[in-house]
Amino acid sequence: MKPLKVDVSDLNKSFGDNHVLKGIDFKVANNEVVVLIGPSGSGKSTLLRCLNRLEEPTSGKVVIDGNDISDKSTDIDKARQNIGMVFQHFNLFNNLTVGENIELAPTELGKDNKEEARALAKKLLQTVGLEDKYEAMPQSLSGGQKQRVAIARALAMKPDIMLFDEPTSALDPEMVGDVLAVMKDLAKDGMTMVVVTHEMGFAKEVADRVVFMADGKVMEEGSPDAIFDNPQNERTKSFLEKVINV
Amino acid sequence: MKKIFVLFSCIFSFTIAGIMFSQSTVQAAEKTYTIGTDVTFPPFVYANSNNKYVGIDMELIRAIAKQEGFNVDIKPIGFNAAVQSLSSGQIDGVIAGMTITDERRQKFDFSTPYYESGIVMAVAPKSSIQNLSALKGKRVAVKTGTSGADYANSIKDRYGFKVVTFDDSDNVYNDVKNGNSAACFDDSAVLNYGVKTGLGLKIVTKPTNTGKYGFAVQKGKNQELLAKFNSGLQKLKKNGKYAQIIEKYTGAAATSSKKASNQKSEAESHTFFGLLKQNKDALLSGVWETIELTVVSIICATIFGVLIGLLGVLPSKFAQGASTTIIYIFRGLPLLVLALFIYNGIPSLTGSKIPAFVAGIITLTLNEGAYTAAFVKGGIEAVDVGQMEAARSLGLPFGKAMRRVILPQGLKIMVPSFINQFIITLKDTSILSIIGILELTQTGKIIIARNLEGFKIWTIIAVIYLVIITVLTLLSKWVERRVKD
Repeated sequence: MKPLKVDVSDLNKSFGDNHVLKGIDFKVANNEVVVLIGPSGSGKSTLLRCLNRLEEPTSGKVVIDGNDISDKSTDIDKARQNIGMVFQHFNLFNNLTVGENIELAPTELGKDNKEEARALAKKLLQTVGLEDKYEAMPQSLSGGQKQRVAIARALAMKPDIMLFDEPTSALDPEMVGDVLAVMKDLAKDGMTMVVVTHEMGFAKEVADRVVFMADGKVMEEGSPDAIFDNPQNERTKSFLEKVINV
Repeated sequence: MKKIFVLFSCIFSFTIAGIMFSQSTVQAAEKTYTIGTDVTFPPFVYANSNNKYVGIDMELIRAIAKQEGFNVDIKPIGFNAAVQSLSSGQIDGVIAGMTITDERRQKFDFSTPYYESGIVMAVAPKSSIQNLSALKGKRVAVKTGTSGADYANSIKDRYGFKVVTFDDSDNVYNDVKNGNSAACFDDSAVLNYGVKTGLGLKIVTKPTNTGKYGFAVQKGKNQELLAKFNSGLQKLKKNGKYAQIIEKYTGAAATSSKKASNQKSEAESHTFFGLLKQNKDALLSGVWETIELTVVSIICATIFGVLIGLLGVLPSKFAQGASTTIIYIFRGLPLLVLALFIYNGIPSLTGSKIPAFVAGIITLTLNEGAYTAAFVKGGIEAVDVGQMEAARSLGLPFGKAMRRVILPQGLKIMVPSFINQFIITLKDTSILSIIGILELTQTGKIIIARNLEGFKIWTIIAVIYLVIITVLTLLSKWVERRVKD
């Protein structure tokens, strides 16, 4: 068996009285691509944000690469360097150029010197097909371009695992393909990925495993074929019917 | 960004160092006493046309100081501030035509009386009021804290008039002249002098409620100074110098010589240009003091405000609470109250003096800084929370994320507020006239106390403020453009 990259056990998260995650157990193996699907409000994004402690777990254990993220004494900044994250709304740093966006963390955190960071930024921009945007300001980019820069920015820290929080939900339909293509390449290269998305096509094609969540619980999980062609859980069935009918 | 911050820190440290240094160099060989007075009280204290402080009290204290071998540092802070500053030990003595009363004796030790005077009533030249009974239902103007005010308050119910109080004699007289008040009560020597020098009021009653003027020190303190005053006064009385001074300001000779000088001053100083020329030096030094106050407090308030604002966005409940509390307190206090509290209140608590300039800077730093902190906090909070999340998700610690990502964006949001605050700070320096800082407004008050040209002098002062504000605005816009690029 491959070593576990993500090992979440009995994770609970509440916002005030709102019990969002109810005893989640969730594991991801090395090089595995896991897609989280489910109706909105089911807790997918919250689970994802607990993996790098953007949300503080209320109880339970989150272990990434053998590091207990939920333990307060863990150096969270150090742990996050190995966990890349891509947001629905891109969150590019508006005060910096595309190049600076990518180089900021590696240089500030002493991972690369200026030249190394620059070379890496250019190489990553090439991978996402935006080598001519190095000097551009984020405001001048389209949504799809922004998201590809955001992916390059996360990759610049050379993370072992990438988290994607609905990366295509805020994009115009014609932009979605470019972003998904970049993600597919990443998966092909063996990146461990946890993806929250509504792109069922992507899930079918790229995921090693699909996890269906509802009401703060994991309802069903399995291979894409199993989930999409032969769902067992009633909630999964009705959800897929709605999504595919749209 | 970094450069601007370093620059600000440098200026800040230099300012503090400068203040410290200027304080430590004040020490002189001969003992110097700080004496508070009110320079709107001729013939006892006033500024002459060269803006030197003259009058009976001034000549007396200087003659006594010379006789007894000490130095005096005259602080023209106004009667109220002088009395409060003496209570709190900010100054060593007060000589301002102060009547010795039992109430005052509880707080102060008085010298042997150096002048005896009574209260008279003055009315506008065309007024038909001749006696106290004619005041029924009318308004009477007095100056706060004077024996004229005490007298008016003691008889107002009997004669059925209302009392309005002003901080300056000039405002008292103007209120009577323009008919808002029917009469005013003031010291007979003061009013006599005023009438002789063209005040434009007439005296209609005989002096009453005779009072004695004394030099005051804080009770139980500065007894050495009090003893020196008494012995000096006695010597001056013996050698005829005392009589000479009194004669100079109240005698028959004073009247004729005053007339001459009055005509002369009329010839030169009733036009805007004449007034400007005559008061050039005083106005320039007032402008300079205002600019100094403005620049130093803008720098201090900006640093203080940014620090408190940043404290308010730290991920710690304690830091946020501290920031909110500081903003709440110093934004909530009226500037005037804060200035008086720091200048008079703090020395009462700690026992050590604060120079008025430093007290003024502290006041503005706290008050303007609180406003600055509020918009700094607001500006940072206005930056999309996703920016911080993205920075933290890359492994950047809070401080680095703040400095490299959030602050540069927040600063752009804050720039217009900063410019606005700079202009408010400039205007707020005028409030510091209350603690006797000789800035533009206080300079204006003193000039008007002498020449009674209120409208023209305030016009000149208003124009000067507008000019400074325009320069400050242009400077800020220039900085704004630099920051935006």
